[in-house]
Amino acid sequence: MNAFAYVTAQTPESAIELARDDGRFLAGGMDLLGELKESLAAPKTLVNVKALPGTADVQLDGGKCRLGANVTLAKLAAHPELRRVLPGLTEAAAEVGSPQIRHRATVGGNLAQHSRCWYYRHRDVHCRKKGGTLCYARQGESKFHSLFTGCMCLSPAVSNLAIALAALDARVIVQRGRSTDSLTVAQLYASAWNTPSAHNSLQPGELILRIEIPAPAGLRSAYLQLSEKSDFDWALVSCSAAAKVTGQTLTGVRVVLGAVAPIPWQVDAANAFLEGKPLTDETARRAAELMLRDALPAGDNAYKLPIARALVRRTLLQLVA
Amino acid sequence: MPWPKETKYLGKSTPRAEGPAKVSGRAKFTTDVAPAGVLFGAILRSTWAAARIKSIDLTAAQAAPGIKAALLVHNGEYLTRYYGDELAALAGTSRQAVLDALRLIKVDAEPLPFVVKELDAIKPDAAQVFAGRPNQGNNPARDSGRPDDAFAAAAAVVEGSFATQIELHQSMEPHAYAVSFEGDEMTAWASTQGVFAVRDGYARNLGLPQNKVRVICEHMGGGFGAKSSLSIEGELCAKLAQAAGAPVKLVLTRFEESLATGNRPSSFQKLKLAADKDGKLTAFQMDGFGTPGYMASAPNGGGSNGVALPMPYLYRVPNSRVKQSAVAINAGVACAMRAPAHPPAAYGMEGILDDLAVKLALDPVAIRLLNDPSEVRRHELEVGAEKFGWKAKYQKPGSSPGPVKVGIGCASAAWMSGGRGTQAEAQISSDGTVEIRVGTQDLGTGSRTVVQVVAAEMLGIDPALVTARVGDTRYPPSGGSGGSATTASVSPAIFDLCEKAVEELKKTSGLDDPRGANWKAACAKIGATPLAVTGRWRDGLSTGGAGGVQFAEVEVDTETGFVKLRKILAVHDCGTVVNRLTCESQINGGVIMGIGYALYEQRVMDRRSGVLLNPNFETYKLPGIGDIPAIELLLLDMPERGVIGIGEPCTVPTAAAIANAVANALGVRVPSLPITPDKVLAALGQVPDNGDRAAQVRDLEGAFARVAGAERPILLTETPA
Ligand SMILES: Cc1cc2nc3c(=O)[nH]c(=O)nc-3n(C[C@H](O)[C@H](O)[C@H](O)COP(=O)(O)OP(=O)(O)OC[C@H]3O[C@@H](n4cnc5c(N)ncnc54)[C@H](O)[C@@H]3O)c2cc1C
Repeated sequence: MNAFAYVTAQTPESAIELARDDGRFLAGGMDLLGELKESLAAPKTLVNVKALPGTADVQLDGGKCRLGANVTLAKLAAHPELRRVLPGLTEAAAEVGSPQIRHRATVGGNLAQHSRCWYYRHRDVHCRKKGGTLCYARQGESKFHSLFTGCMCLSPAVSNLAIALAALDARVIVQRGRSTDSLTVAQLYASAWNTPSAHNSLQPGELILRIEIPAPAGLRSAYLQLSEKSDFDWALVSCSAAAKVTGQTLTGVRVVLGAVAPIPWQVDAANAFLEGKPLTDETARRAAELMLRDALPAGDNAYKLPIARALVRRTLLQLVA
Repeated sequence: MPWPKETKYLGKSTPRAEGPAKVSGRAKFTTDVAPAGVLFGAILRSTWAAARIKSIDLTAAQAAPGIKAALLVHNGEYLTRYYGDELAALAGTSRQAVLDALRLIKVDAEPLPFVVKELDAIKPDAAQVFAGRPNQGNNPARDSGRPDDAFAAAAAVVEGSFATQIELHQSMEPHAYAVSFEGDEMTAWASTQGVFAVRDGYARNLGLPQNKVRVICEHMGGGFGAKSSLSIEGELCAKLAQAAGAPVKLVLTRFEESLATGNRPSSFQKLKLAADKDGKLTAFQMDGFGTPGYMASAPNGGGSNGVALPMPYLYRVPNSRVKQSAVAINAGVACAMRAPAHPPAAYGMEGILDDLAVKLALDPVAIRLLNDPSEVRRHELEVGAEKFGWKAKYQKPGSSPGPVKVGIGCASAAWMSGGRGTQAEAQISSDGTVEIRVGTQDLGTGSRTVVQVVAAEMLGIDPALVTARVGDTRYPPSGGSGGSATTASVSPAIFDLCEKAVEELKKTSGLDDPRGANWKAACAKIGATPLAVTGRWRDGLSTGGAGGVQFAEVEVDTETGFVKLRKILAVHDCGTVVNRLTCESQINGGVIMGIGYALYEQRVMDRRSGVLLNPNFETYKLPGIGDIPAIELLLLDMPERGVIGIGEPCTVPTAAAIANAVANALGVRVPSLPITPDKVLAALGQVPDNGDRAAQVRDLEGAFARVAGAERPILLTETPA
């Protein structure tokens, strides 16, 4: 680990200013400290963003939820109102890592976290994501990797929250220089689809301020993941879905798969197929097939297909349960 | 055996003597040792899986701030054969200073071709780990009886392929040493299973007199076989201390633990088993291989770093043919790991036995009762099956309804155990307190508490009056903690010591029986000079030959491949139970380790870069609290058999029982450990195959054919070029 300066920012503007010269934002540090220790990153400055006013608040009113970037996953997972209104989100938070990790980890850091690919994370492997020439996973150990990608890199998006927030059609409010932009989760990740070195679409110095989630009456949401272990393990595949449910009929449906692509995997055709239909085992199956069409398994990850199928079906069925 | 039948402490539960110190953080582990002026040591490791090291330039590192010593592991040009191999070491005033300086060491190396996977290494055109020698060793078949005839005449024959992964020890505490020289005296604090072995290692490797080396291990966080002797980091730590003229502490990181401190070798087993129509086994055949890393030597009969398995395990099959070989790869070397060779042997043998039972429509418990030569284990099978509700639960393989299938399985273990020479000394003071010193170490099995319990029982006193001191070569000698021998070695020595103490105290006090109620009065007569007595291990108080049977109940989600354990029942025999609490704790730990082997753990190497991909607990998956089902224990308490160790047999059959339960749930067998969702789904035929799997099967078949067909033994020797 290299020496670095440490500063605590009091305003978003100063945070961005302080990070300008090779700085990185530091929230809970669960992701960034690992990168520093493995010498994957060597920023000059760590800009602590946890003290930014109002960024640890959860607001829920008028059919809208606002989550500050520094809300911890533990707080999110345990929030009684949110658990009732947005169970897809709180479940996704509850499945992250361990209690210790959730007490440190933040919403902003979770969304902006970097690749977990074991080649990327390895101190002595210079892979495509780090600017090298090879994606080692392609002819290597690809068990945890993507079924879909628009580029050479097979590293999947693994943020639990990204999957749930995409299903909830959330907006990520990002401070970019002087302007404040509102991004969909798809936009937040779009760059990772075709740029091997990108983890998401954020440029250095772009700061997540908060998340805004529509929570209209009648909204249902769910999140399920399948890991190798019962607890404290990454998802092999995760799935989140949200819709307005009337009887058994879904409207405004979004189904999202995680850990199968460098972006939260959404297929418009699957959402459109489900729209306005009563949900049955059969429609859920068809939606899963639509989502997995054109998957390109690497050597070791074709097993994700049956898991994804099961999770899509089960997650959708949970909406109407 | 002379152990008492009616007991107050023996076989009952006494809390761990050092428990409060451990949970409060007062217990000092090696990493807590801080002699004045201690420096931090660290190791530079090979980043190549194979390379010719031409030169290593330490100048810049030596000149870096805070660096006090730097040394090379080898001089001159040489070959390094795995990623993680030790190249050089530094000591400096802070951990950060040393880590920074490591990056300044310049290594001039010529990368060489390498191979890190067994199935690649056995291909004819594979890179050779030792140039000019095939990677795959070859041993002649070991035949007994007439296997060919017996297979031909059998009522049922089954064949199957079973593979087990490389498992890492992953002790909670990494390898750790602290070394200090004062004059010509050396003191080493080591996280070790053998303080005397480490002392002798230092004396030998550093050319020091044995009586000038003291090794201390007050507490340690596990070893599981990987801390049996002086390891290279311990030697480097001492050499750095010599070079720096100051104490040095060297504690490995989790990353380093994964690369270079040993592992359980892999196994690939092609098995064939036959029986007559009643299920009596008639013939067995095995073609097998595995890798112990780059130092692949000839199989050594099922122990230490050898890959050969003791097959057909605990069954006596009149006709058998067993061929096994070791395969060299460019990776860290295996060493003893909790019941070396037994868990993979149990997984293979107990698996093929269940397949045979299915073919003959026999109950798995029944076929074991018919074929197990051990009376103790047959008894365990019976009482275990009864307690588990086996008869009511057993269903035909794959027959449970719905997508989440339930299955049960059982498997057995054998272990030699046994005790050996240990000596102990005691001082008994006039206030009635007893201090017992024995140079064993507490690997985590509760050695101190064993000493307390035996002494309290034999002297008829409160264990609180007994202080046990262990883990120091200044105490009377005791062997390494390996082979499940510690409790069986220590307890008889304490028994002997107590007998002598009672004799002495009779004389001193004039009382007929100074024990129990008379203890205080008798001791009061001791006066100013404490009574000193010694004891030593003797025959007739401990034995070997432990047996165990475990039963598992699982749920398998056939849509996701996820295996959930419902229950494990462990039935074990360890003769006289010394301390029930720590004994049960051993078994719980063994079962949990077996669960990791069955479902989660696996070292993953990368073919193209040659690195180990999962050197951390995030991707080297250990079972966590959420993965552990109810573990029920049934101990056969048999004082007449004396003390028998339990640390190893309890981990042997767990994975085999779970694998059998999964096969029972699914109706198909997952052919390798760990049983992860991808493999379950593949076994169920739910994973589209792009040709890779078919190629792997061909590679595996080719390898088995080579093992089976090779006539002339080509022995690999262990001497590196
Ligand atoms: C062992 C382990 C297991 C884990 N398991 C899971 C899991 O199952 N699922 C899962 O989703 N995650 C998992 N994680 C990842 C962890 O949850 C996320 O890394 C965590 O949420 C990150 O939050 P943080 O606040 O600690 O981020 P930090 O580490 O502080 O930051 C992460 C990244 O985000 C950037 N950043 C932080 N805040 C902002 C902001 N406001 N705006 C812009 N950029 C910002 C940082 O610069 C850094 O690049 C695991 C991590 C570990 C170590």
